[in-house]
This record gives sequence, structure tokens and C-alpha cells, in this order.
Amino acid sequence: MVSNQLKEFTENIFRLPEAEWQAFAAIWQPFSCRRKTMLTAPGETERYLYFVLEGLQRSYYIGENGEEATIVFTYPPSFSGVADSFLTQTPSLYFFETLTASNFLRTTYVQLDDLMNRYPAIQKMILKATAAALKGVLQRQIELQCFSAEEKFKTLLRRSPHVLQIIPHKYLASYLGIDPATFSKLLGTVRLS
Amino acid sequence: MKQFRSETLLEQLQSDVRRQMAIVERLRADDPGQLLAQPATGKWSVVQVLEHLNSYDGYYLPAIETSFSANKPARIYFSPGWLGHYFTQLMLPKENGQLKSRMKSPKNHRPSSHPDVVPVLSVFLQNQRRLLALLEEAKTKDLGVIRIPISLTKLVKLKLGDIFCFLIAHQQRHFLQIEHTLEALQGVRGKYPATPPVM
Repeated sequence: MVSNQLKEFTENIFRLPEAEWQAFAAIWQPFSCRRKTMLTAPGETERYLYFVLEGLQRSYYIGENGEEATIVFTYPPSFSGVADSFLTQTPSLYFFETLTASNFLRTTYVQLDDLMNRYPAIQKMILKATAAALKGVLQRQIELQCFSAEEKFKTLLRRSPHVLQIIPHKYLASYLGIDPATFSKLLGTVRLS
Repeated sequence: MKQFRSETLLEQLQSDVRRQMAIVERLRADDPGQLLAQPATGKWSVVQVLEHLNSYDGYYLPAIETSFSANKPARIYFSPGWLGHYFTQLMLPKENGQLKSRMKSPKNHRPSSHPDVVPVLSVFLQNQRRLLALLEEAKTKDLGVIRIPISLTKLVKLKLGDIFCFLIAHQQRHFLQIEHTLEALQGVRGKYPATPPVM
């Protein structure tokens, strides 16, 4: 029932012994939704951890003065959802939505927490996944604070060139914190070497 | 009558509510003058529309909460009642996104002539967070057996599932009105789409 995609993905993070893998595989349910489905809003505590099988999702923040920031995109194969709210079980500060029709596997905090209490190996796998995510977030923090628009643009395209094809450019601009017009200009002028 | 998977229906309604919250989050940054402006004499301002929605939540959210004390466990499928279905269909916009018909609001749901922007918007957002929690709790309840009296008259009771559908379709209708109001005031189209744009 649970896809090979999830198995392959978790094995790359940390290889679970067979019994632990069986326990972990058993907590996931298939879940599908249409494009532009809003899955979490600010003030709600994230109930689910998602694993993306198909589709594109984004998390974004809307500030008191209307400033909007795209925090993260997810696409297969990847965990998804409002990770910080899920792990801490505190209210989310931002929205989480699908940009295209999406297929997921999903599980609840209660189920995952129960497995982490019972199986140290599963706890270790989740810790490794969280650590990798933390590393990515801090790296991005540096880029947002220190890089020029052009450097941010180049870094993104070196790291994930395929996003240009799958993510609408207005959202990529919002992700980098640059103006959509600047983004189009960079797209026309910047050479990646 | 069409059947819905109860959980799928509730999650779709939650998504609609969250999308309406995102629109109001964006409105908070708008010029308060625009939000208070009536597009024509006798037409409501954006804040008046939201105050009108708050008055419905003021009746229905406590009514739903009270109904939850009934111990009626969830069923996998929900079928709307004929009257509930009729009310919901009456509220929902047409396929082309236009409103079906003009309606007059009942007296007790008419907004004040000079509402305050900040409290009206924050009460709306608070109500939606409460509504989301009720929709979540409703996953454990029987949407077809629990019944709630409508705000017009205690004599008519609708199924819990129909009340949710009607309440949120009613909001959807008024978010379309908000979009039209801002378009009329600002001469811009599509800045606050009540229905998601095609990507």
C-alpha cells in the first residue's frame, strides 16, 4: 500500500531495520486534493505530516502590512506540511496550500509521536530529516540576508534548475524576496557558468 | 441526492474558510478608507459585508458548539437534506463566478452604518479559526443526524452538514461581493479573487 517512493526517500535519510520500516509504513494514508486547496492557516496547529507523491505546494506568510513571503515549496519526493508547527505542536504562523492537484501520503502527529516513543531508530530518522531541513533553512537565511538579487537568483538556479519549469515565476520571485520584474530581467540577462 | 464522503466534504470546507482568511489577511494592509467606502448609495462597504458575516457566525458558531454535546458518532457518507441543499445552491455563485440573484438581508443581520475596520476584521479572523476547529471536531460527529435551527426561525432545523455548507457558501457569496466592491472602487480587476485564478 505504501509507495516505494517513501521507502526510497527515507532510506536516503536513514536506513530503518525491517521491523521499524514496517511500523513506519503502516501509519500513512493516501490523501488527494485539487489545486489551490488551502491545507493549513495561521493559528491552526498542523495535524499532518505529508509525503508528496505528486504536485506542487507552497507555504507563505502574510504580514500585518500586507507583505507576503513565500517560505518554502515542496514537490516529490519530499515531506511536506507546516513542519515547525507539526513538530512543536504550536500554532502555524503561515498558510500552506497546493498550487497544483496533489497526491500525498499523510500521517498524524499522534501516530508519529507514538512510533518515535517506541522505536529509537524512527526517532533517529526523524531527527536526521529535521537536521537536514534545519541546515537548508539556515543556509537560506544567509542567502536572504547577505546576497544580492542576482546572487540569490544564481544560487537558486545552480541548486535547483528544474524549479524554473515547475514553479510559476511570480512565486519564485516571492521566495527569493525580489520583485517579479527584477526576476524576469535576471532570467533574460544572467548567464550561469 | 448527491452523497459526499463526510471527511472529504469537511476538509474542502476547511480549505474554503482558510482561503477566505487569506483574503482578509491581505485586506488588513489596505487603505481603511477604501474598506469603509460604499461603492454606491445603499451598497455595503467591505467592512459592512464582513460585519454582516460576523453576525451570522455570532449565531451559528455557538449553535454548532451546543449541538456537539449530542453523542452521535460520525458516518462515512453524508447526504444533504432537500431544504439545506436548496439554501446552499441559492448562495453559491454560478459557474461563471457571478451571483445568482440579489437578496435582501434579514433586519437582525444588517451591518451598522459606521463599523470600525480593525475590530471587524479581527473578529472575522477569530471566528474563522473557531469555525475551522468546529469543522475538525465535526469529523467525529454525524453530519446527517445532528440538527440545528436556522437563524431566521427556530421552527426550521437543518442537518449539521447542511449548516456548514450553507454558512460557508454564504461567505463565498459575500467574498465575491467584496471583490466586486473593490473593483468598483479601485478600477482594478482580480486583485482579491474570491475564487482561485487559473494558473
